[in-house]
Amino acid sequence: MKNTVAILLLSLSILFLGNARASDSLGISLAPEQTNPAAPQMGDWIKFHSVIMNSGNQAAHGVVAWISLVQVDPGHEQPVDLEDWSAHKAVTQSILEPGQQVNVEWPMRLIQAGAYRVVISAVDRETGHVMTSPFVDFQVRRKPVVESGRILPVALGVPMLVLGVMAWRRYSRRTA
Amino acid sequence: MMNTITLIARKEGGELLNSGRGLAWLLALSVIMSVLSLLLVSNTELSLLDNAQVVYMVMGTVTALGALLAVVLGSDAVAGERERGSLMPLLLAPVTPSQIVFGKMGGQVAGWFVMYLLSLPYVWAVGSSGQNLAQAVAYLALFGTPVVLGFGFLGIALSASLRSVRSALFTSLITLMLLASPLLLGPSLRQSSIGKLFDAVNPFSAAVNTFDSVVIDSQPLSMQMSRLAITLFWLVLTAVFAIRSVRKMEI
Repeated sequence: MKNTVAILLLSLSILFLGNARASDSLGISLAPEQTNPAAPQMGDWIKFHSVIMNSGNQAAHGVVAWISLVQVDPGHEQPVDLEDWSAHKAVTQSILEPGQQVNVEWPMRLIQAGAYRVVISAVDRETGHVMTSPFVDFQVRRKPVVESGRILPVALGVPMLVLGVMAWRRYSRRTA
Repeated sequence: MMNTITLIARKEGGELLNSGRGLAWLLALSVIMSVLSLLLVSNTELSLLDNAQVVYMVMGTVTALGALLAVVLGSDAVAGERERGSLMPLLLAPVTPSQIVFGKMGGQVAGWFVMYLLSLPYVWAVGSSGQNLAQAVAYLALFGTPVVLGFGFLGIALSASLRSVRSALFTSLITLMLLASPLLLGPSLRQSSIGKLFDAVNPFSAAVNTFDSVVIDSQPLSMQMSRLAITLFWLVLTAVFAIRSVRKMEI
């Protein structure tokens, strides 16, 4: 009997969760811009385009949508602080009528090499959970910014130059 | 008068380039900058933003090392002569205390000039593939010079008034460590009221914040005028302190 009650409660909670998901009032799409470089590298600008649509039958109030970036390199999985990547991190919409949609551009400058996953999340005042877009994955190629080929000769050359002056001074004193 | 000042300045500057001790100092400073540069290259996490950050770090380090060299030279300027027994002959020679102090200051200028020249290859090496390299070179001269020379003049003043190299060096180094602390503290740690007040009056902060503003944020000179005024005020203040201390010194 106890087992039956437990299974019943579990089924009801799954059904309830399913209904909650089904009640997402906002549909969010996300796609990279066609003009983005095929193999972007550090320093490039890329853009994502998303459409936030009220697919429900009631107006959505106080809609806030924001972009999130996660690094997914094996062993380096971490959320990325967008501070340096983008100045356009969120949009707000006071009301979104049923069937109404908002087009949003998300530009960002690629700061660091790695594999990334971007997602748009949104909430409104009525819905009790976060609604998200599908993920878009992209890869940023490394670009050497501090050129080791230049630093090594300088790092070795300047102390050698000073040592050379010291040796020359000692030699010229001995021969004088 | 100019000839006497030039002679003393040449002797002071020449000690840096012609003495084994001076060259050893320059070698040590160049090794520090080499190690810093190599550490920066070996950092695989450097990003585009970090390139400007690297130039900023090198500029701050050059200013700190220049100030360190200036403090060492300045602390030795009068007290060193006294301890070596060469102060008395210098004062008995037909030179005035003003000529001595201006000559010593000239030596400081020569020392910083050598240090600046030594640092240029490093600034070029780390900054050539990034942004604002020319500005970095120019602003290091414009803001580094008054800050570094100010520390040198402070060293001369303390050297004359404290009468011992050790005391002058210790006091100068404590001052340098205090004023150069913005290099160690991140900007966020300086956002408190005390931190802001300290930043507002500290010439080292003025230089470092200008490097940040110009190299990282590409801001123009017109936005740096108040900071330039702070560094120039520091230079004048320490110069007056040095002149007064040398004029008042006793055998």
